[in-house]
Formats: sequence, structure tokens, C-alpha cells
Amino acid sequence: MTGISIHELGVAFSAKDGRVIAVDGVTQEVPERGFVSIVGPSGCGKSTLLSVIAGLYAPTSGHVEVGGRRVTGPDRAVGVMFQEDSTLPWKTVLENVRFPLQVAKVPKSEQLTRAQQAIDLVGLGGFERRHPAELSGGMRQRVALARTLAMRPSVMLMDEPFAALDQQTRLLLGAEVLRIWRETHQTVLFVTHDISEAILLSQQVWVMSYRPGRIIDVVDVDLPEDRDASVVATPAFNALQNRVWEVLQAESMRGFAQENAVPASGVPAS
Amino acid sequence: MTATVSQPPAGGRVLAGSVGVAVAAVVLWEIGSHLSFVIPPPLDTARALAADLTDALFLVNLRETMLAATAAFLLSAAIGGLIGLGLGLSRVARLLLSPIVTAMNGVPKIVLYPILLPVFHLGYGSKIVMGVLFGLFPVLINVMTGVQQIPSVYWRLARSVRAGRWQTLRHILLPAIRGPLLTGVRLAISLSLVGVVLSEFFATKYGLGRVVLRSYSAGDYPNMMGTILLLIAVSFVLSLLLWRMERRVR
Ligand SMILES: Nc1ncnc2c1ncn2[C@@H]1O[C@H](COP(=O)(O)OP(=O)(O)OP(=O)(O)O)[C@@H](O)[C@H]1O
Ligand SMILES: [Mg+2]
Repeated sequence: MTGISIHELGVAFSAKDGRVIAVDGVTQEVPERGFVSIVGPSGCGKSTLLSVIAGLYAPTSGHVEVGGRRVTGPDRAVGVMFQEDSTLPWKTVLENVRFPLQVAKVPKSEQLTRAQQAIDLVGLGGFERRHPAELSGGMRQRVALARTLAMRPSVMLMDEPFAALDQQTRLLLGAEVLRIWRETHQTVLFVTHDISEAILLSQQVWVMSYRPGRIIDVVDVDLPEDRDASVVATPAFNALQNRVWEVLQAESMRGFAQENAVPASGVPAS
Repeated sequence: MTATVSQPPAGGRVLAGSVGVAVAAVVLWEIGSHLSFVIPPPLDTARALAADLTDALFLVNLRETMLAATAAFLLSAAIGGLIGLGLGLSRVARLLLSPIVTAMNGVPKIVLYPILLPVFHLGYGSKIVMGVLFGLFPVLINVMTGVQQIPSVYWRLARSVRAGRWQTLRHILLPAIRGPLLTGVRLAISLSLVGVVLSEFFATKYGLGRVVLRSYSAGDYPNMMGTILLLIAVSFVLSLLLWRMERRVR
């Protein structure tokens, strides 16, 4: 069982202007082999939530279980894809993808076959000896994806992996992720700020609020399992998108007002 | 944008440019030598240097300086690298020690010489220490800032795959700071040589610094100039080699 369960999770940071509550009272489940997306305004705590699940930060309160076991630190069965470009510029594509296998002391011949499989899976065959500087942003994210997949994790945590890419590339890579997920059937928690991407990819969408970061809406995506990009033209898709959009819009406005509020006035513009 | 504008100059053009600059320098030097008696003409200098390089005593001096400078350089790179690494990795260490580093770096090192002399004695000891004082800081400061500038996502990546201390050092830290490390090392090579030669001006038996000073006192300007040029050439060639390595680093 490799679902994710989040119990009363809270994360606070002490900043110059006082305490920032990045994540507050989040209790949610990602079922085993489920694909769940999180959408929310910038700075609402999505990355923080994912980092805690990945075992990279300790929460201030509450806890997370992955596969029934309490998270106390990073786990090699949990693959993480970061929001920033995390390809190592001094390594070739093959070396980048091999890196976690090398760290895990997988036998060398197996390292190479598994890395090659992952590279082929994300469609980067032929680019093994290139360095990241020679690749486009989309290809670099594919390298990061291949690197995560090479470890064959049972859980994938993906933090806006395609946010920096153009719309076409993002759609393409989203379809790729979906195809790979159907093959590997991992449990996926996917962060994005693109509502249609979230609905297109996942079975459930969590909408997160801005400061404190709470899950304010959970939307089940009852669209066909084997859908492709053409589904965006259907009324069902539209209805889902409108629902998420309404919640998110109100939230974004509140966040924006809060961010730009004069501290002295003290009146939240909600 | 036209492709030709942003193209780097071809190798041939660079070489031609360097030769041109060298020729111009020699011409200016020749003119200068007629204006001041301290500046010997280029030809006399070349002859003096050629004679020196076959002179047994001069070679002893050369060896002495080069050995001291090499030792000073290696120590600078090792000590500077380690302290820089420690300061780069630990915020607490930075808070405690960076004021000292900044202050020490600002001190004109040569004023410390009278203190070093009785402690490390004449000969190698004080020369090498002076060379290290000169060469240490560029390595230290470059490594320290290099470590601090490593993108945080690389550290998170290392932790997420549970890389150990050595694995992180080998796969992330060292490759990430290669550029600044080489910059520091390049500066340290010439600066440790400067430190050694400078300390040879003051009190020592052998060394090129001694040769320069003795030739100056004796009014043997071609010899003095030749030795200075030799020192410049050595440090220039080494720096150039490292600079080329630096440019190849990704
Ligand atoms: N290490 C930290 N120290 C202090 N505050 C932090 C830290 N990390 C995050 N924060 C704050 O916590 C809040 C949530 O940050 P987080 O990065 O999780 O947001 P996000 O939803 O991922 O935003 P984005 O969509 O822009 O990536 C922000 O207000 C941020 O300033
Ligand atoms: Mg984020």
C-alpha cells in the first residue's frame, strides 16, 4: 500500500515580518495509484506541502504517512521532481539520469540499462551524451523526469515540473506523464497552477488557499480514464474548470489584496 | 542579429593580436630605455637573462624561489580550499569568522614580515608563510562564495536521493565550485610567487628576490630586469594555462 495520508499538517516559518503559516491543518489522502493535483495561488504553500511529504522538511505539527509508514526523512521509493531546473550541468543526460542509481549503489550494468530505459521512456533517446546546456528547457525537465523514473519510485511528487515551459510543450509533457503513469501506475501528487492541466491529468484536484495554506476544495474529476487533450472541448471539462476557477479566483484576489495591504490599516480586503 | 557580429575571434587573429601587443611593448621599452638609465635596453636584458640561465648560482636561486613558491601555492590551495569549504557550508562559522577573514585580507601582508621573521626564521619558513598569506585569501574567498552560490535545489536533490556526505561532495559540491576554485587557484599561483619574492627582498640567502635586489644595488640593471621578466613570464604562463582550463569548465 503506497498511498499518501496527510494528518492535520501544519508548517510555519519565522520570517522578518513575523510568522508565516505556509500550511495549516491539511488532512487529505491520495489513494494508492491515484493521481491527484494541487492548484493554488503563488506562495500558498504547495511546494512546502510537497517538501514535507518528501521528507525534506519537518512539519511544525501533524504528520504524513506514505505507504502506511510515517515520513521522517527522504525515501528512495518516493521520487521528487522540483519546481526549479535541477539537472546537473556538469553531467551528461545519461550521467544525470544515472545519478540516483549510483548513489543507491545499484550495480553498474543495471544502472546503465535502467537509465537507458528511463531515457527512452521520456523520449530522449539519442541525447545521452549531451549536456543540459545543449538542451531546451522542456528537454531538461524530461531529463529530470527520467532521473526520477529511473529509481522506479512507487510515489511521485511533482512540483510544477512544466511551469516554466510554453503551453504546447506543457501539454505534450503532460500527455507524456499521463502515458507513463498508465504504464507504471505510481501514486502521483502533482502541483500546478494551470487548472486545465490539473483537470486533464488527475483523478482529483485539491484547491489550496493563500495564507494560511489550507485545502479549501476537493474536486473529483469524473472524466473518462483514457482521456486525451480533446476532452478540453467537452461540457463536463468546462464545468469542472469553472468550478475550480471560481474557488481559485476568489482566493487569488484575497491573496493579492493581503499581499498589497498596508499593514497599518489592518483590514483584510476579503 | 547577424551571426558574424557575435562570433568569437578566430585563433589566428588572437595570436596575431598577442604578437602585435608584444612587439609594441618591446618598442616602448626600447624608447623608455633611452629616457631613463634605470631601464636597460631590451637586447642587453635578453643577453643578461641568457647568461643567468646558464649560471650555476642563478639556477640555485631560481630553484630556491620556485620550490618555496610551489610549496606556498600548494599550502594556499589546500588551506584556503578547506577553510573556504567550511565557511561556505556553515552559516555559524561564517558569522563568527568572516569578520576576521575580511580584516586579515585587508591587511597589507608585508607588514607582518617583522613578526614572521623571528617565528619562522630566515630561509624557507618565512618565505613560504609569506607566500601562503598572499595566496590563501583568493582561494578561500572564491571557494566560500562558490559554495554559497550553489543553487539550493541541488542540495534538495542530493537529500531526496539520500546521497551521503562523500557522494554529495563528489557529485554536487566539487563539480559545482570548479569554476570559482580554479579562479582562486589561478590567482593564488601568481600571488604566492609575489609573496615569496617579496619576502626575499628582506632577509634571505638565496632566491630571485635577492638577485633582483643585489643587481639593483650593484647597478646591474639588465640582470635585474631579466630576472623580473623571468618572474613575470613564469606567473603569466601558469595563469594563462589555468585561465584556459577555467574557460572549459561548465
Ligand atoms: N524556508 C523558508 N523560510 C521562510 N519562509 C518560507 C520558506 N519557504 C517558504 N516560505 C514561505 O512560505 C510560503 C509558501 O511557500 P511555497 O514555496 O510553499 O509556495 P508555493 O505555493 O509553492 O508558491 P509558488 O506557486 O510560487 O511556487 C511563502 O509565503 C514563502 O514565502
Ligand atoms: Mg512552489
